Amino acid sequence: MTDKTRDSTTDGGVPAENESIQPLGLPRWVSALLPIVLLVLVLGLFAFTSPLAGVQSGTPLPDVTVTHTTLPSDETVVLHVTNNGPESVTISQVLVDEAYWDFRVEGAGGDQTLAPMESAQIVIPYHWNPGWDLEVALVLSDGATFHNTIVAPSQSPGFSLSLLGTLAVIGLFVGVIPVALGMLWFPYIKTMSDRWLHAVLIFAAGVLGFLAFDAGFEAFELAERVPGAYEGNLLVVFGIFGALLLVQAISAWREGRVAAGDSRASSGLWIAYLVAVGIGLHNLAEGLAIGSSFALGRVSLGAFLVIGFMLHNVTEGPAVVAPVARGERPALKHFAALGVIAGAPVILGGWIGSLAYSPTIGAFFLAIGVGAILQVNWEIASMVRDAGGRVASATNLLAFLLGLGIMYVTDLFVAL
Amino acid sequence: MPSIDYNSAAKVTERLEERLVESLTGETNVSRRTVLGGLGVAGSAAVGLGSSRASASSGHDDEDEHGNFGAVGEYRDLNFDPHEFLTAFNTGESGQDNIPQQVYEEDGRTVREFEFTAVDTTITIAPGVEFQAWAYNGQVPGPTIRAVEGDLIRVEFTNLGRHAHTIHPHLKNLNPRMDGIPQNGPGVLDTGESFTYEWIAQPAGTHFYHCHSLPLKEHIHRGLYGTIIVDPDPDRVRENPRDYVNYPGPITDDFRAQLVEEAKSRNHEYAENDAVNEMVMVMNSFDTNFDGGNEVYAANTRAFGYGVGDTDGQGNWTAGETKRPIQIDKNERQRVYLSNATEFDLINSFHTHSQFFDYYDHGTTLTPTSKTVDTIMQCQAQRGIIEMDYSNHEPGLYMFHAHQSEFAELGWMSFFEVV
Repeated sequence: MTDKTRDSTTDGGVPAENESIQPLGLPRWVSALLPIVLLVLVLGLFAFTSPLAGVQSGTPLPDVTVTHTTLPSDETVVLHVTNNGPESVTISQVLVDEAYWDFRVEGAGGDQTLAPMESAQIVIPYHWNPGWDLEVALVLSDGATFHNTIVAPSQSPGFSLSLLGTLAVIGLFVGVIPVALGMLWFPYIKTMSDRWLHAVLIFAAGVLGFLAFDAGFEAFELAERVPGAYEGNLLVVFGIFGALLLVQAISAWREGRVAAGDSRASSGLWIAYLVAVGIGLHNLAEGLAIGSSFALGRVSLGAFLVIGFMLHNVTEGPAVVAPVARGERPALKHFAALGVIAGAPVILGGWIGSLAYSPTIGAFFLAIGVGAILQVNWEIASMVRDAGGRVASATNLLAFLLGLGIMYVTDLFVAL
Repeated sequence: MPSIDYNSAAKVTERLEERLVESLTGETNVSRRTVLGGLGVAGSAAVGLGSSRASASSGHDDEDEHGNFGAVGEYRDLNFDPHEFLTAFNTGESGQDNIPQQVYEEDGRTVREFEFTAVDTTITIAPGVEFQAWAYNGQVPGPTIRAVEGDLIRVEFTNLGRHAHTIHPHLKNLNPRMDGIPQNGPGVLDTGESFTYEWIAQPAGTHFYHCHSLPLKEHIHRGLYGTIIVDPDPDRVRENPRDYVNYPGPITDDFRAQLVEEAKSRNHEYAENDAVNEMVMVMNSFDTNFDGGNEVYAANTRAFGYGVGDTDGQGNWTAGETKRPIQIDKNERQRVYLSNATEFDLINSFHTHSQFFDYYDHGTTLTPTSKTVDTIMQCQAQRGIIEMDYSNHEPGLYMFHAHQSEFAELGWMSFFEVV
C-alpha cells in the first residue's frame, strides 16, 4: 500500500493507479462477487447430486405448536396451530378429552396438511362448558400426538364496538388518567433544587428499571408459547437489543445535531419524549396483557385491579415531565402530546391484545418495551451527568431503590 | 352406640355453629372450610371426646402420632341424604316426593310412569367440596326405579340442562327408538325438549340407566346415572325356572319351589320381601380438577357418608350428624343392589370385613353366581346383588369399602353398624 494522500476524484472513487493489486489483475467487483458465485455453484451441486444421500438417518421429528385457542361460541373450539418442523405434517384426527371428535382444518389450502411454517385453524364443533378444562390432542398421520389444555374455557369476546369501547375506557383509567395526574407534579418539580430534581429523575429511572425487569420476565415467559421455529427467546433478545440500539441511534443522531448547533435538539423536551415513548411501549404491553386477558376470559376487573394499575402508573407521570423541569417551560401542547404518547398505548394494546392476540406478537412488543426503557435509563443517567450531578450519589441511589420499591409494592395490587 | 336422629342432630349442629361463630367473631376471613373443620373440633369437644383433631386435649398419644384418615367436618348441604337414598325405591305407587309418578293398567300390562328432568345443579361430594353436576331430578345418583318383570316403564323425560341429554336403559329393549342414543329415535334432547321413553321391564335383575349423549365420559361422570331394579315375577319363575339359574341339571319340584320362594323375597309386591333389608348403592366418583382422574370416590356420592363421625382410635367412636354408619338389624337378611358408575378407572370393587356374601352378577339369576366371597369387582355399568347374613355376628361396626386402597382413602369407605 502507498502512504500518499489520496486525491479525491469527482466520483469519490480511488484513482486507478492507487488500487491495490488484485490477484490475476481482476477488477475489484469480481473479487467481491466471486465467493457468492462459488457458493451458488456448490449449493447447486449439492441440490442436484445429493452427495449425502447415503448418510440419511431417519427423518426429522414433526413439531406442531398450538399457539392459542379461541372459543367463538359455546359450540365451537378453534385451535390456532403452526407447523414448526422441517417437513409437512398432516393432522388426521383430533381428540377432545380423549375422545375422537369431528373437526375441520381451515386455512391450510383446503386439506389437512401443513407445509413447514404454515399456520392454520382447527375448528372443532364441541359443546364445551365454561370453566371446565378441555384437553385437545392432534393426531398426525404417523400417529404422533400434540396435546393442548384449554384451562377454564370461556367465550372469546370477538370483535364488537362495545368491547373496543370497554377497553378504551379501561385504558383511559389505567393509562391516560394516571399519567396525566402524575404530570401535574410538574410545577412542584420545577421548584426543586438540582439535587432533588436529579433524585426525581433517578427515581423515574428506578420506576423504569422495575418495568424493564417486569416486562422482560413476562416476555420470556410468553416466549415459551411461541412456535419453535420462531425461536421465542431469541426473538425477545432481538426485540430488546433492536429497540435499545434503534432508539440509541436516534439519540446519537440528535447529539450530532446538537453539536452542529441545533438548539431544539438540546432541550430536555427530547428526553421527555424519549421517556414518554419508552413508557408508552411499556403501557402498550400492559394493554396487551389486559386485552389478552379479556380475549382469554381471564379478566377480573375488580375496582382493586383498576386502582392498582392507577397507583402503578401514576408514578410514570413525574418520570415523563422531570426532564423538562429546567429551562423554559415547553408549550402545553407538548404536555398533552407527552401524556398521550405515554398513556394512550394502553388502549391500543388492549385492542391488539383482544383482537389479534398471539404469543409471538405479545412477546415481541414486550421486548421492544424493555429495550426502549433501557435506552431511556441510559439517557437519564447522561442527562444527570451533563447537568453536573453525580449519578451514583447516596440520594440518587436511594431514589432509584425507592422507584423499584414503589413499583414492587403497587405491582402487588395488579394481578391479572 | 345409637346414631343421632335428624331433629336432634340439626339442633346440635345449630348450637355448635352458633358457639363457633361466637368464638370466631373478629376473625376476618373465616372460610366455610375452617368453619367446618372447627365444627368437627367443637363437636367432639362438646360430646366430651378426645379426637385426633382436638389435639391439645387428646390424651391418646399414639393417635396424635399417626393421625386418622377421613374427611374433616360434616356435610352442610342437606338436599341429598345418602342414608335416605339407600332405601328410596320409586315404584310408581310409592317413592320419593320429588319424583312425580303413578301406576296404572294399560292393555293388561302394569304401567309405571315417572317424570324425569335433567338439570344442572351443584352437589356436595365431600364436606365443603362442591361439584357441578348434571343430574336426573337434581340428585346424584338418579332416582332408583323399581318395577316387576313384564311391566311397562314409562319415563316422561324433559331436559332442562345446558347440554343435550338422553336416558339409555340397560334393559332388553325391543324398540330402537327407545334406546336413548344420539343415532336413534329422537336422538339427543336439547335444552327444553321432551320425550317419553317406554321400556319393557326385562330381564329380572338389577340394572343401570345413564345418559348417552356425547361426550360420553362427561355425561356419565357428571352424575347422569341410576339404578333400575326389575323384580322377578314368581309366577313366571314357576313356569320358566331355567331362565333364572346357571345350572344345567334337572329341576326338581323342591328346587322349583325354592326358586319361587327366592323370587318372592326379591319382589317388592310380596310379603316375603318385607323380611329383607334392601339397599341401593351406586359406586361413583368425581373428577374435580379436569385431569381425567378422580379426586373423590364414594358409594352413593358422598365421601365417607357411611363412615363413623369420630373415633379415638381406641375402639370408641361416635356417629356424626351426616357421616354415620348404616344401622342394620342382625336378624334381617341384608341385600345390596350394587352398581358401578365410576368413570376414568377400569374397575371398582366391594369388600366386606369379617363377612362373606353371595353375589348375583347383574341380579339376573336366583342362584348366586359367586358363592361365599368377600370381594367382588365391577367394571363401569356392571351391577349385581349382594346378600349378607350378620345373624351370628356380635353387634358393632363392620367395615365395607372398595378394595382399591386408593379409592377407600379417597372416600369409598363405609361401615355397617350391626345392632
